Amino acid sequence: MTEMMLKVEDLHARYGAVEVLRGLGFEVPDRSVVVILGANGAGKTTTLRALCNMCTTSGSILLEGEDISRAKTADIVRRGVAHVPQGRGTFPELSVMDNLRIGAYIRRDKEVNADIGRWFEIFPRLEERRDQLAGSLSGGEQQMLAVARALMCRPRLLLLDEPSLGLAPLIIEDLFERFIQLNKETGLTMLLVEQNANLALDMADYAYVIESGEIALHGPADQLKNDPAVQEAYLGA
Amino acid sequence: MDAGLLLLLQRIFDALTNSAIYASLALALVIIYRSTGLLNFAQGEMATFSAYVAFVLLVGAAPGLTGGSLAAAIGAPYPTVAAIGAAVVFGAIAGGVTERLVIRPLRETSELAVVSITIGLFLGVNSLVEQWWGTAPRQFPSLFPDAASDYLDVAGARLRYSAIGAWATLLVLLAALAWLLQRTRGGLAFRAVSFNRESAELSGIRSARTLMWGWVLASALGAVAAALSASSVLLEPKMMLRVLVYAFAAATLGGLDSPRGAIIGGVVIGLSQTLVPAYIPFIGFELSVLPALVVMVIVLVVRPAGLFGTQRLERV
Repeated sequence: MTEMMLKVEDLHARYGAVEVLRGLGFEVPDRSVVVILGANGAGKTTTLRALCNMCTTSGSILLEGEDISRAKTADIVRRGVAHVPQGRGTFPELSVMDNLRIGAYIRRDKEVNADIGRWFEIFPRLEERRDQLAGSLSGGEQQMLAVARALMCRPRLLLLDEPSLGLAPLIIEDLFERFIQLNKETGLTMLLVEQNANLALDMADYAYVIESGEIALHGPADQLKNDPAVQEAYLGA
Repeated sequence: MDAGLLLLLQRIFDALTNSAIYASLALALVIIYRSTGLLNFAQGEMATFSAYVAFVLLVGAAPGLTGGSLAAAIGAPYPTVAAIGAAVVFGAIAGGVTERLVIRPLRETSELAVVSITIGLFLGVNSLVEQWWGTAPRQFPSLFPDAASDYLDVAGARLRYSAIGAWATLLVLLAALAWLLQRTRGGLAFRAVSFNRESAELSGIRSARTLMWGWVLASALGAVAAALSASSVLLEPKMMLRVLVYAFAAATLGGLDSPRGAIIGGVVIGLSQTLVPAYIPFIGFELSVLPALVVMVIVLVVRPAGLFGTQRLERV
């Protein structure tokens, strides 16, 4: 049996009186890429926020077998979960370098600068702009910075909330190629939520489709890609 | 030098000490505003309390002095600098404890609740000071040489050592603050939390703890402001009330979230308080608080972000 990085059972989440997630269950095997697809308002973003305890939740969330559903956001990050929120979550008022240093805040080892150098190799545009304010970067560059910032804490699980949002198609392709590269080279486990089903299904090993806060469909990504219902709803076929 | 010009120079020198006091309290307000978006109305009163702690440490056991025997038990009377240093540390710790016990539990509730509770703290701490130490003004030793002859002659105008000392203190504090914020790991965390609490949490920064450190820093700065104020005039329970109004005006002028703005705001308000009544007889010294209020209203109407404040821009 494959090791589970993340195992979620009966996850409920609410904003005030509105219940957004209604008993979600899913699994993310170690070293895999899992995608959650769904329309606007289906609860994709809430799912990721619930994992980091950023909204009111109930249910069980096991990270490598340990329940993290009651832990505080910062402590969940310290346990190896990095989250690139929708709208990027960088600090526009701070320089690219400071953003990366903040990403490495929880680390006390001496390899922080080496890591920054490594992400600069993968995202050379960031190195060119290292002293610029993050807010002055283009949308694609900010997304790269957000990802690099998240990776600076050396996570075991990377949560990506619609990384393709607002980016030009070519940039999206480039970004997704880098995600695949990261997963292949470092074995980093990724959980991605997306509306851009085509690219996400190409990249993922396994996929879930959520509708109104419940899992409607799930299966290996290549299978889902050929599923007529998915094709009609998400792939525009 | 022309007599009129000399008088102007002298008046500017006279405004320096007050400017430094306003600037340091404004700086305290800015630190909390920057990190939480809220104003701490109790900043001045908490500082007054620290100044009384310094006073008790200076005097030690004395008949009718609350806390005097307690201070004597830990070695009071202390020399001036040691007493004030200890009071600043006390103020810093009290600020942190206040944040932890009173502010943090309310933070999740609503911003209005936090503002209201700082007004409550303002009244509570003020009453406590009056209850324990009475309303009568007390002589507070000067931090710097302050005899009649302790001044520097600048083209005929007298620049007092105490004014130089107040500014030297402020500049040292400012340098320390800049180092803390720009060069340390904790400072980076503080800036991150100030700009975006959620993103900071997502980088593993424990924002609640970081915000408490903001209160610690601000309260330490406030305690220094109160010590400067007490040593330039007299120690009394209401002494920081006017200072708080001026510091609000200074911070507003500077932009509320800019430390540099707080300093320049402090200077402008300090100068306006001395110069406006001096050259516009109609206003007079009884109304010397007026220029500060006028400045505050004009800034809020014309340029709400102040001189150096962050203009909030958002890409949507």
